[in-house]
Amino acid sequence: MIEVKNLTKRYGQHLAVDSINFTVENGEILGFLGPNGAGKSTVMNILTGYISATDGQALINGIDVLEQPEEAKKMIGYLPEFPPLYGDMTVTEYLNFVADIKNVTGSERKNSMEKIMDLVKIADVRGRLIKNLSKGYKQRVGLAQALIGNPEVLILDEPTVGLDPNQIIEIRKLISSLRKHHTIILSSHILPEVNAVCERIIIINKGKIVASDTPENLSKGLVDSSRLNLRIAGQEKQVLKAINEIEGVKQAESQGSREPGTVDVIVEADPNVDIRKPLFNAMSRASYPILMMKSMDMTLEEIFLQVTTREEGVS
Amino acid sequence: MLAIIKKELLTYFKSMTGYIFMACLLFFVGLFFVLSNLMMASPQYIDVLSNITFVFLLVVPILTMRLIAEEARQKTDQLLLTSPLSLVKIVLGKYFGAVLVFLLTLIISFIYPIILTTMGSINWGEIIGGYIGFFLFGCALIAVGLFISSTTESQVIAAVVTFSALLLLWFIDAIINSLPTDRTSGMIFAAILAAAIAFIFYMATRNWYVSGGILLAGVLAIAAGYIIKPSFYSGFIARVLNWFSLLSRYDDFAMGIFSISPIIYYISFAGVFNFLTIRMLEKKRWS
Repeated sequence: MIEVKNLTKRYGQHLAVDSINFTVENGEILGFLGPNGAGKSTVMNILTGYISATDGQALINGIDVLEQPEEAKKMIGYLPEFPPLYGDMTVTEYLNFVADIKNVTGSERKNSMEKIMDLVKIADVRGRLIKNLSKGYKQRVGLAQALIGNPEVLILDEPTVGLDPNQIIEIRKLISSLRKHHTIILSSHILPEVNAVCERIIIINKGKIVASDTPENLSKGLVDSSRLNLRIAGQEKQVLKAINEIEGVKQAESQGSREPGTVDVIVEADPNVDIRKPLFNAMSRASYPILMMKSMDMTLEEIFLQVTTREEGVS
Repeated sequence: MLAIIKKELLTYFKSMTGYIFMACLLFFVGLFFVLSNLMMASPQYIDVLSNITFVFLLVVPILTMRLIAEEARQKTDQLLLTSPLSLVKIVLGKYFGAVLVFLLTLIISFIYPIILTTMGSINWGEIIGGYIGFFLFGCALIAVGLFISSTTESQVIAAVVTFSALLLLWFIDAIINSLPTDRTSGMIFAAILAAAIAFIFYMATRNWYVSGGILLAGVLAIAAGYIIKPSFYSGFIARVLNWFSLLSRYDDFAMGIFSISPIIYYISFAGVFNFLTIRMLEKKRWS
């Protein structure tokens, strides 16, 4: 479990992180989202003990990172923004060195090394010098390094940067598969990625948390009405009239016809009422077949734009 | 700590730096061996060691410039500092890594006195004593290089600054001899020292009262010293600068005398600079 309490980091006059609070439960994957320079990496660097906080606490399983750094660091695997690789070493040498400094020894080391290399698919380049590897491989060696010693907490700063789409999907799968035994914090500015992997999202902007919830709730919570996109076979005016009669509908707006004999309608309704069933029943009674019904929740992009460009937070 | 030492050795001998360092040092030992022992038919091997102490100026920067500067530039310090290793172990690991390369070179150079034994008898006690002094002398300079490497992210800057710093340590005896020794200049120097200490303290803590107090205490102590024992200030500058005179401590070894005080001096000198390196890295985290 990771607990962050009133974490603040000041660089001279510049406030990089402004009293942030959050917790991550065991086995949870938390997504850290924010524009460049929002303070994501700073928070991660503090959590891993690389830099110190100006104020506040960061606890890993109840151990303060600043007060007992050596104990806390044993439980953390960290992939920084730039993978910390030694170009002059081969992949095997490098991973052996990491195992050395993390004090992973004996048979545990041999087994975990093979397992990790298979997991991140770098077994085929194990004998090559790291400086000659492609960006994608380097990123995966960086990830392998974080996994050595099987740490309970994984902190991954933009783990999929520089990978091609296939690799991105693989790494996402990998991260999802790690969820059972690890607590993971993952930062990214790529929204679908966070959406695909994380159970909970924290959006951070200018050093402050501006939103924190599940991806679904974030999409729902930020809009004042739920919207449905419908395609209904029937006459435009009659269909609109029938929809407007349903209780809970705030507004129905025609989008014109895209298929002959049908009309596309966007229905706005009270967010507390699920109007899908009454809508279906009303349309069926009037025998206007519903050909398509799609919920139009806000996409993560829209939420992101909304919370990061707004003045006040909604945490 | 062993892990870091192992890695440093690996890096030295995977890149060229380890070999260049060894080649450089061994070349000059060999050169002076040929010139002063073989050509002159002299069994005084210890002269070779004291003659080539200046080679340190060139080779110590090669050995130390990379140590911390390169980690900072490649951001691999993030791996080390977020690992369960303590800062002390990281710094000492790097230091002993460099020292081991140096030691290895000295062991190889041991071949020269062995060559001499085939031609006559030599004074082994003197040579081993000389080697110990030579080794510790190098250890002290490597600690200076390590510290300078921790202050920058550029290997070139680290090398140039280390070279200049060592050059200054070299000339310090000459500088001492040409400095004024009268009491007034001694007192002015003491006042400047007190002001510098107060200033450093202020930079570190940003506390006006404490640094002001230090300055005041310094001035009072200087005044008290003058009243109690004015002769204290005669040659004061020279005495202070003499603390940094590494080369003069080597004189005993050069004459074949094995004494404990320079040994302790070199070890403490290295210890102080290792400590400063640790403080430097600590400070980077808190800035």
